[in-house]
Formats: sequence, structure tokens, C-alpha cells
Amino acid sequence: MKKLLLMTLVLGLTACSMLMPKKAEAVTNINGTVESRCTVNTDTSGYYGNPNAYTLTTLPASAGQVPIVRVDTSLANAYKAQISYPTSFSSSPSLSDTVVWTGAVAVAQTSSTDMSGYQAASTTADGGAMRIYPLSIAGATWFSVSSVATYGGGQQKAFPGGSYTAVVVAECVAQ
Amino acid sequence: MTPTYPKWEVSLIDSVHKTTMRIFNKRQDVKWYEIGVFDKEWKPIPFVTSYKILQVKYLTQVNFDVYINSSNKDKAEYICSLSKLRGNNNNKPMVASKICSRFK
Repeated sequence: MKKLLLMTLVLGLTACSMLMPKKAEAVTNINGTVESRCTVNTDTSGYYGNPNAYTLTTLPASAGQVPIVRVDTSLANAYKAQISYPTSFSSSPSLSDTVVWTGAVAVAQTSSTDMSGYQAASTTADGGAMRIYPLSIAGATWFSVSSVATYGGGQQKAFPGGSYTAVVVAECVAQ
Repeated sequence: MTPTYPKWEVSLIDSVHKTTMRIFNKRQDVKWYEIGVFDKEWKPIPFVTSYKILQVKYLTQVNFDVYINSSNKDKAEYICSLSKLRGNNNNKPMVASKICSRFK
């Protein structure tokens, strides 16, 4: 009798488990691809200080701010960065005399210590205004671009009053 | 701009090749990008797109086709996007960015 009751109980439980709905399961994939790319971003927008009547400069000591450009690459040896300091104003009041431009491009920060040789490995072009960096390691690099404009061709003439804008060019060219 | 190394494909039009490019805008201060195709000496090569200046909103992607005469296919070396800047009046140097892919 006991065996019969036990068998009935086991069979009943088995039947119940078969009738109960199973936990719903679904597999959802998140797909993605990694491809080589280069992005350029303005990390710090610079501005000119005006320490005297004939000079506009981004140097902080003269109340300016040096612009910083961030370049990211996702693949080593795929791109070179070409960063240029300005050699003319994109907008300004009418200027009757010469503007002398100087500037410098330098690596300000890197995402990897392996990139420490970037500045030494760089070359210049366009009369020194452009500096070319082979991006041999994947990651982010920040470039500072200082700019100084002096009016009067060495005669120290005062800039006419008004707004002055110059353009820093950051290029990322596939190798 | 991707791909880094695009390839020309035959298009539906005779003696015209095409390639498809993508631009992703990571610059909040830029909304417009101009497309250009250049040879090894950086001389411009004629090409056709829907618009040569594309509006790409911040953190969005735009796909576009570039068509070129098949006779110029082997001369084309670079395809570039150049950010278009709007003038400002606050003595700020602006940053123009140019990204170039290369035909190999």
C-alpha cells in the first residue's frame, strides 16, 4: 500500500513538472566591429592675450590660452597627425602692414608612455608651421599649439582695434 | 571618417566608380563637413556626391557615396573631410580638423 502511494506521488510530481511552464530563455547578441579610425577633437579652445599694442599671443603669461587638440587613433601605424599653427588671420580688421607669425606645436599629453618619443620623431613642413607626427601607437595624443602674431613687420605698430580670429589646423591623414 | 582604406567599386553607371564613406561627428562645435578627393600631390580631383558639404550633428553618423570618373580612379589617393567653421568675434583661435582616408 505504501509503495502504491509512493509511486502515485512520484508520478504526480513528474506530471506536474512537465505541465509547469519552463523559464523563457532568449539569446540576444550585441554585435560590434572595431575598425581603424582617427578622430580630432578640441580639448581646450585657446584665445589670444594682448600684452601690448602690437602683439597677440596665446601664451598664458600674457593672459592668453594655448589651444589643445586631441587626436585619437584606434590602430597603430595607420595615420599621421599634421598640426599647424596659424600663419594668417581668418578674420580681422583691415591690416595695412605686415603681421609676423610665430608658433610652436608640441605633444602635451599622451594616453600611453610608449608615445613619449612622438615629439622627437616628428618632422616639420610648410616653413615650420606644420609639424607631422607618425601615430605609431593606438591611443590618444593631446597637442598644444601656441601662436604669436606681431604687427608692423618689426616696427612694433599697434594692431587696429577689432576682433581677430586665426585657425589652427589639425589633420589626420591615413598612411 | 571611415573606412581608413576605402576601395572603389563599379557603379550602376558606365565608366563611373563609387565608394561609400561614413562620417561620425565628435566635435560639438562643428556641424558641417566638406568632402574633397585629392591625388598624390594634393591636387583636387573632380567627384560627385549628393552634397559636397554635409551636415553632421554632434555624435551622429552620416553615410554618403562618392562617385568618380573611372579614368580618375587610379589617380585618387585621398578622400578627406574638412570641418567648416563659423566665424566668431572673441579673439579665439579656432581649430579646423581634416581627416583623410587613403586609397591603396
